[in-house]
Amino acid sequence: MRHRAAFLQRWEGLLLVLLVVTVVYNALNAPGYMTLGNWINLFQLSIEKIIVALIMTFIIINAEIDLSVASVMGFSACTAGFLYANGTPMEWAVAVALLTGVAAGLFNSFWIGVVGLPSLVVTLSGLIGYRGLAYVLVEDRSIGGFPQWFNRLGQQPLIGPFPLALVIFFVLLVFAIIILQYSGFGRYVYVIGNNKEVARYSGVHVRRTKMILFVTSSTIAALAGILYAARLGAVRGDIATGFELDIITMVLLGGVSIYGGSGTMWGVLLSVLIILNLRNGMGLANLSGHVQTGVIGALLILSVLAPNVAGQVQSFWNRRRAQRMETGNA
Amino acid sequence: MSEPSQTPRPILEMRHISKRFDATQALDDVSLALYPGEVHALIGENGAGKSTLIKIMTGVHQPDSGVILLDGAPVRIHNSQEAQTLGIAAIYQEPMVFPDLNVAENIFISHHNRGAFVHWGKLYRDAEAILAQLDVRLDVRMPARGLTLAAQQAVEIARAISLNVRVLIMDEPTASLSAHEVNQLFRIIESLRSKGVAILFIGHRMEEVFRVADRITVLRDGRVISSRLRAAPEELDAQRELMIREMVGREVSEFFAKSAVPRGKLLMSVHNLGKEGVFSGVTFDIYEGEVLGFAGLIGARRTDVGLALFGIEPADQGEILFEGRPVQIKSPDHALKLGIAYVTEDRRGLGLTLPMSIASNITLPSLRRYLSALGLVRRKEEQRTAESYRERLMIRTPSVNLEVAKLSGGNQQKVMLSKWLNTQPRLLILDEPTRGIDVRAKAEVHHIIGDLAAQGLGIILISSDLPEVLAMSDRVLVMREGRQMGVFSREEATQERIIMAAMGQEISSNGQVQSTLTTQVVEP
Repeated sequence: MRHRAAFLQRWEGLLLVLLVVTVVYNALNAPGYMTLGNWINLFQLSIEKIIVALIMTFIIINAEIDLSVASVMGFSACTAGFLYANGTPMEWAVAVALLTGVAAGLFNSFWIGVVGLPSLVVTLSGLIGYRGLAYVLVEDRSIGGFPQWFNRLGQQPLIGPFPLALVIFFVLLVFAIIILQYSGFGRYVYVIGNNKEVARYSGVHVRRTKMILFVTSSTIAALAGILYAARLGAVRGDIATGFELDIITMVLLGGVSIYGGSGTMWGVLLSVLIILNLRNGMGLANLSGHVQTGVIGALLILSVLAPNVAGQVQSFWNRRRAQRMETGNA
Repeated sequence: MSEPSQTPRPILEMRHISKRFDATQALDDVSLALYPGEVHALIGENGAGKSTLIKIMTGVHQPDSGVILLDGAPVRIHNSQEAQTLGIAAIYQEPMVFPDLNVAENIFISHHNRGAFVHWGKLYRDAEAILAQLDVRLDVRMPARGLTLAAQQAVEIARAISLNVRVLIMDEPTASLSAHEVNQLFRIIESLRSKGVAILFIGHRMEEVFRVADRITVLRDGRVISSRLRAAPEELDAQRELMIREMVGREVSEFFAKSAVPRGKLLMSVHNLGKEGVFSGVTFDIYEGEVLGFAGLIGARRTDVGLALFGIEPADQGEILFEGRPVQIKSPDHALKLGIAYVTEDRRGLGLTLPMSIASNITLPSLRRYLSALGLVRRKEEQRTAESYRERLMIRTPSVNLEVAKLSGGNQQKVMLSKWLNTQPRLLILDEPTRGIDVRAKAEVHHIIGDLAAQGLGIILISSDLPEVLAMSDRVLVMREGRQMGVFSREEATQERIIMAAMGQEISSNGQVQSTLTTQVVEP
């Protein structure tokens, strides 16, 4: 994997430089920026998306996509709210909401893994369908007034200064890195993403792998939805709308190829840090949210271009060198 | 045909064409002339260079040296569009039609400058006129989807005529046609001939070639071996036999020959194996330490038998006994558990994950053996395995962590072999294991095959390289168009015998060539 890895390292290196620049800028312009409290706050503002980005990394490396994650988040949050509003104890409401995630994942993976439909189409229907179900449950109400313990989990520190969502993120991050970069399952994910026919001809269970990923994806999305509900203290039908695109952006910006087969969890972690700091920095520089979004978009295009440009530059130089050697010999 | 005395000027002439791809000299000083109203047949084994020649004529490839003359003037054909403008068109075994467009639209698909609007009435009239020239009756308003293969071919030919074709290349046009459809096609060829079109006909069925061609050229290893006008009917059999010999006459001595290994236990018995519409009636036994060659031409469906035995495309007829037990192989996973491994012919598309390392490619099908209790890959052990194969199969690489894409074809082939050997198979199916690799790597692969057989593996060697099959195999199974034509012992197997069986010819005991075009079931 050497030469592709070199390009990736180049991209990841670029990300690292960008990260350092934004962090320094932020630190110089905002007193108290380099405090733990501020960083926890930074993470906490997007923590649900970041958690889902972990599993999205697996799915995109596998050369698939899951567009339904944000709608599953909404569906799960609304399920919890709906059940609670109708008298179910919050613990049970949360458990059932998690199960809706498992069910949504099984539904997605049935069409993708068993029937063999493209995940883009299946999860696009999921994006529409699960959002619809969320609206069916809560209509245009806003359901709140959750028990104290539930809101505290979303808003207050749990272990030391870290709130529950951040703790969950750290734990999942460690698992994600180990599984993707070091386990047999992770190896299969890369091979399938590179060329699923090679995987099939090697006796790898391609469909099973994909199904596991999509069930996991929806389950984690459902969990993220519940965490989001706890942080907001209320749910509405449109909760988490559009998050899937931010999540996919985090993954792609981290150097994961949209065609599958390459990218690392480290790159995604870097990209998450950059997005958080860049938005913060641009906020400090009085750039509006819209401009911030535009900058992130430009960065995304750059992330796709960078490996290609680097490759072309290299092959250009190789050609030049070869020509020079030829003329030198003649 | 015009009278031989007053030779007309050829429409298209190839002079001293050479073309090299990496290690293989695909064409070596090939000269060929196509005359108006003449059907020129090109015959040769797989890999003789026929396809390369066609691709040069149609502008897909550029020759390394040599010139192409059109009406006596040198031309350069840079792409197929240019070939079309010059009046050179090709049709292939699988017709290329747009299924959702109707017949008339398909015929005129390449006509661009007809204004913004389609004049449907004129379109249909013109299409009917062209089809009438060919004596073909087709509803021009019918979508192409419903047409038979033969009708689709007629549409393709009509398309070529609409572009004022002067040279029509037909690459195995009869391969998927029934006998009746072949007759129809030959009638069309007849009318093209009378219109003065020069036709290059590539075929594998000798019967047809000698029926339709005015001139026959034999290509072997990228060189023209002979080029003759078709003989008079009474000498036709002799000429046919001679030209078949010319097609195959290569020296076997350049190959490593498998040494005789005592035959071990019966490993697998296959009886009447078949898959609907693909192949049928495949019956053989294979023993430990035996190399069973699978010979045949392109389209013989040998790979499909391999895929069925490996569970990729499971068979739906017949029985398989593996080590005496009846089995139904439904998936590659199942095949691997039995001890069957299949090394694909498509190294880049199906065999190796090119951007990943040599080591991770080698351990892929056996990765479970390298997992710790927690499911993590034991890298050290993986490295050790990769290193041992690097040494054993002489994979030339600075490191086993190098990505496979960086290796030469021959070394990639060895990585692929390592990958499957590491599953510790009892039966190894090798599909074209030496295609596209250089001579030295080829010899090494042959040695490896010999060693493996000596260790008691059963090996099925699917190869289109006839001398290779003969040198390496204890027995040779010959297939033709999805049917088993026979199994020859090492003593019985000669190049002529095999190529004739593969082409649907048989040599009877008195040495005469017999045609078995209609029925060729060898089953007892």
